[in-house]
Amino acid sequence: MPLLEGHTARAFDGDLSALHVHAVEMGGLVLDQVQLAISAYADWLRPQAHQVLERERQVNAYDRTIEAESLQVIARRQPMASDLRAVFAIDKVVTQLERAGDEAKKLAVTVLADSETRGFRPGHAMARDARQLGRLVTQSMRASLDAFDRLDEAAAAQVLRQDHEIDQEYAATLRRIMTRALEDPRLMHGVIEAAFMMRSLERIGDHARNVARQVLFILGH
Amino acid sequence: MERVQTEPVAIPKPAARTSQVLLVTDRDKTVGTITVPDPVFKCRDVNVHYGDKHAIKNVSIEIARNQVLAMIGPSGCGKSTFLRCLNRMNDTIPSAVVTGSITLDDQDIHDKRQDVVQLRARVGMVFQKPNPFPKSIYENVAYGPRIHGLAGDRVELDEIVHTSLQRAGLWEEVKDRLNQPGTSLSGGQQQRLCIARTIAVNPEVILMDEPCSALDPIATARIEDLMEELRQSYAICIVTHSMQQAARVSQRTAYFHLGDLIEVGETDRIFTNPRHKLTEDYITGRFG
Repeated sequence: MPLLEGHTARAFDGDLSALHVHAVEMGGLVLDQVQLAISAYADWLRPQAHQVLERERQVNAYDRTIEAESLQVIARRQPMASDLRAVFAIDKVVTQLERAGDEAKKLAVTVLADSETRGFRPGHAMARDARQLGRLVTQSMRASLDAFDRLDEAAAAQVLRQDHEIDQEYAATLRRIMTRALEDPRLMHGVIEAAFMMRSLERIGDHARNVARQVLFILGH
Repeated sequence: MERVQTEPVAIPKPAARTSQVLLVTDRDKTVGTITVPDPVFKCRDVNVHYGDKHAIKNVSIEIARNQVLAMIGPSGCGKSTFLRCLNRMNDTIPSAVVTGSITLDDQDIHDKRQDVVQLRARVGMVFQKPNPFPKSIYENVAYGPRIHGLAGDRVELDEIVHTSLQRAGLWEEVKDRLNQPGTSLSGGQQQRLCIARTIAVNPEVILMDEPCSALDPIATARIEDLMEELRQSYAICIVTHSMQQAARVSQRTAYFHLGDLIEVGETDRIFTNPRHKLTEDYITGRFG
């Protein structure tokens, strides 16, 4: 990645690359969490939900580690210009990833919830809706992480251009599940919970979009 | 739910990148705005030759009142040479030839009627190594006003010495030992004494050539703090090798490279998003 390399002090290349690589690794983990959580919710798979919760600790550990590494780079290297933008943006990307991980956790917690007002398994139609929205969201997240990995401006811009598709799908999904609640008020608790789950998915899409924005920021836009 | 209704955000066109940072070939033209709203100095097409060596190449820039301009660049890039053009210090080097136009308050500083001693009072200079005269603290500051006839009597001279030392942030430290030699002070104090000596003759511009490179961080911080105060009254032009210092003290930054003025602009922008690749490479430590 030429943008982060080429310093006279070659150790600076190593510091910046390590920061970037760790953030990309965290992105891969979070993407996996999101996919697993969607599948756990749509197919109501408790073992997968457990796995999401267990790995959430790894996500948080990445968050802390990368934050510490960023601080070190700033303190030791006093980065300027594109380097400064990169350190700043990587830190923001990590925050977005951590929050996306939190949304995935909400899906998993719902699958594992066991009470009269929580933990409603979605019916076929709602599960289909969750898979459909989930597919768009994971596509967006994969594309923005790929843009972040390669610091690819065109790919990041493409993610932003397609962001409205998630918003439209989310709006349509909400309309469908609300209609079901109106048809049968006994489904109300389940519908409200499903609406929150869709909201979590839509939020993950927002975080993916924000990652793409940070890529453009690093590149000077 | 409200966000669902929003339109997709406007995306910058990918092509914009090519015109963003990577201006490498256009070496004749400085990137950025060379003019300022309230210039004290206007320099146009300034060239300096030392014999065969072309040290400054067609540099045009303006220096604003009440601002600090930082000049940065690798060793030998011409930033100190350019600084020395502004008070005609290059006149003292026999092989130096300066061409182009440099005006101070719209008056040509190379005009035959221009008194160089007078010019150097209006455009004071502080050097890398503190260089107090081998005289008392008081005499160091009083010397300039005395030879320029700025004080009518001893009371007025005392007042100038007092004010200058106070503005240089040194008064409290030296008020009880004004008759001791200037050289008895610490390095940082000596540098502030030199600044007091410079401002005692009521200049318009203060030139500083790496004024902190011989000082420790605390003395450096004092000088930097002083620069912020002094710019309320003067224009300041500083040459520094410390990018962090340039970023801290200046409002505008100029980047020199092999005698060319490559880029000039707001300090806020230069250190976060420079437009010329050479500037980017230098300030991120990728030079050469």
